[in-house]
Amino acid sequence: MNDFDLVRKNLFRRKLRASLMIVSILIAFMIFGVLAGFYRAFTAGEDAAAADRMITVNKINFTQPMPIAYFTRVRAVEGVRQVTFANWFGGYYQDPKNFIMALAIEPNTYFDVYRSEFEVPPEQLQAFMRDRGSAVVGESLAQKWGWKIGDRIPLNSNIFSQKSGGHTWDLTIAGIVKGKAEHVDTNFLLFQYPYFDETRSFGKDTIGWMILQTTSPENNDRVAKAIDAMFANSTAETSTDTEKAFGKAFAAQFGNIALIVLLVVGAAFITILMIVGNTMALSIRERTREIGVLKTLGFSGPRILKMVLGESVLLALLGGIPGLAIAALIAMALRTSLSNIAPAFAVSPTIALQGLALMIALGLITGIIPALNAMRLKIATALGRG
Amino acid sequence: MRSLWLQVAAVTAINLKSIGQRRWLSLSTVIAIALVVIVLLAFLAMANGFQRTIAGSGADDIAIVLRAGSQAEINSTVSRDQVRLIEDGPGIARGSDGKPLISPELYLVVDGIKRSTKTKANLPLRGIGEQGSELRKGITITAGRMFNRGSNEVVVGKALLQEFEGFDIGSTVSFGATRWNVVGVFEAGGSVFESEIWADLNVVQSLFNRNNIVQTVRARLTGPAALDGLKSYSDNDPRLKLDVKSEAAYFAEQASQTSDLIQKLGWPLAIAMALGAVAGALNTMYSSVAARATEIATLRAIGFGGFPAFVGTLAESLLLAVIGGLLGAAATYLIFDGVTASTLGGNFTQVVFDFKLSPWLIAEGVALALIVGLIGGLFPALRAARLPIVEGLYAN
Repeated sequence: MNDFDLVRKNLFRRKLRASLMIVSILIAFMIFGVLAGFYRAFTAGEDAAAADRMITVNKINFTQPMPIAYFTRVRAVEGVRQVTFANWFGGYYQDPKNFIMALAIEPNTYFDVYRSEFEVPPEQLQAFMRDRGSAVVGESLAQKWGWKIGDRIPLNSNIFSQKSGGHTWDLTIAGIVKGKAEHVDTNFLLFQYPYFDETRSFGKDTIGWMILQTTSPENNDRVAKAIDAMFANSTAETSTDTEKAFGKAFAAQFGNIALIVLLVVGAAFITILMIVGNTMALSIRERTREIGVLKTLGFSGPRILKMVLGESVLLALLGGIPGLAIAALIAMALRTSLSNIAPAFAVSPTIALQGLALMIALGLITGIIPALNAMRLKIATALGRG
Repeated sequence: MRSLWLQVAAVTAINLKSIGQRRWLSLSTVIAIALVVIVLLAFLAMANGFQRTIAGSGADDIAIVLRAGSQAEINSTVSRDQVRLIEDGPGIARGSDGKPLISPELYLVVDGIKRSTKTKANLPLRGIGEQGSELRKGITITAGRMFNRGSNEVVVGKALLQEFEGFDIGSTVSFGATRWNVVGVFEAGGSVFESEIWADLNVVQSLFNRNNIVQTVRARLTGPAALDGLKSYSDNDPRLKLDVKSEAAYFAEQASQTSDLIQKLGWPLAIAMALGAVAGALNTMYSSVAARATEIATLRAIGFGGFPAFVGTLAESLLLAVIGGLLGAAATYLIFDGVTASTLGGNFTQVVFDFKLSPWLIAEGVALALIVGLIGGLFPALRAARLPIVEGLYAN
């Protein structure tokens, strides 16, 4: 029998108690996994932001429009590699509850700017550019509604109306957009701005925001200043910022999600820490006599320290790993229903590693005091007690 | 019968008095339960505060008219001609001068800087018609004065001033190329309007190039019952086809989504944590039973029944739970009650609200604690009741 067998047998000496501990640790790590996955999804835009991409919006606020004439002027700014623009459509499908992130985009440049994120088969992209009344949809949105290439779908807007009076635009699906990486959200619909602009009843010749790519991230500052200076004192002043900064500021508007996550995970952990710590202390105290016997048999203090710590770390791992696994399953189950607020909701490898580190930390923290006590225990005291 | 209750009372008293011997284990259970209650109540107080702020904003006898299907003010558009048709609609109250009490309004999103995080946030700038402030209950200017019509002056809500920088009276704020003077601060009974900036409709329309368009029309009705008349008037006129709702109904819709989300997050988290706390409570109570095995067996040997042992153990668990629950409620009250927060509301703008605990929420928190105590005590109590006497006597 090696030390590990001894650790394992000690841990499960009281099966009920060990199971209870495992359950509470499991729950703590389940909460950790779900919240961390949620938080990561929430800030995914920030991580996905390319360093050389910038966003130009109306200085008043990003919901205010700016003239389409800005597009060609920004393209001419030195240091700008490519520019494209988009306009928010306020889309929904059939029922206002079925919100769809729909944008009217500049068809020729949009996929060039986002080429590191999105992939559209060339023939589909050509079909999209040829047909003014067509749209491309992201993979996950197409999956959600079972849309296929060639389908004609009615897209409603809760903002815009057509010149003819209706609120519905009929679009043909010309292509399906795939994400090039795991965290890329493909829950959107994109259609042609020229068609949108021609048919809408108000707001003609204005656009929502421009996305531009600089020739190199080092030029970002200079390009931003040049653009904003160009439109200073005009009726629509602009504000240009990196995609990352823009995404971060937007996420901050929902309130401090990070703080909430930290508080809850913190509360759950303190709870578990106390319960597990107390139990470990209790179970070591019960074994005082045994530890005395082990010492008499020649087990050294450090070896006993290792065994006790091993026991608490094993306990943390036995609870924590299934907890993280359950969190991953929950994330998978909720992924589609939460795709609007938190796309790419998943327990990522990074989260799993962080979780593993936390488990080991939990095991060490809860075990250290009982382990030290066990190590320092004098044989005479141990055998004399109980 | 009487002797049974005496036995129960005696054993319960022994149990409760001996908690001190297991003080660390008991304390950890109490704190674990308290933490569960804090997490639950913090979420519920947040949802409750948000709900109160928004739902408290609407009146039954004010109609709000939006473009059909637009759901929120920000998405709506109403033309000048439609405003005129509404003025002449049925059920609209008139002032002493015979003019209809309506306010066409334009709702725009502008940027502000949040004081606490120094980050940009969406703030609502509302251009209101002449009757705008009279159509809202409890509007009082608490500092400065109301804006003058036709000038680029604004008044700001109390909550907005508190949470966002640069809106003190006398300061100039610029939204893009337009400059505005802050001349007053208003209170609106804690409603969502306190998170807004108000200016004269005509000035906002011209400075933001929205000359012929408003987004919503607010109208005072002759009474709540007049709403249906106005609705069918709008439905039957092909030039209108607008959504007519009572302001109360509009805000109730706006509140439900976000507070639902907060609650849906809060309860599952609290329940998951409660399961962890149940494990802790079970552990404590099993240890308690194990520690008192000899004592219980002795009592049984001298004629006490199993039932008193059962009740005694359960009572100990419930007491720990109640202490934990109350401790958690008190801590939540001290830490969170009245804390001001803001988030994006239904109109894509910041809504400033306070965390608000209510007696009913506290009852929910304590109830959750009691459930934890009940489950955590039940099985150990059964064990105590069934403990074989001989085994108990030799426990040590």
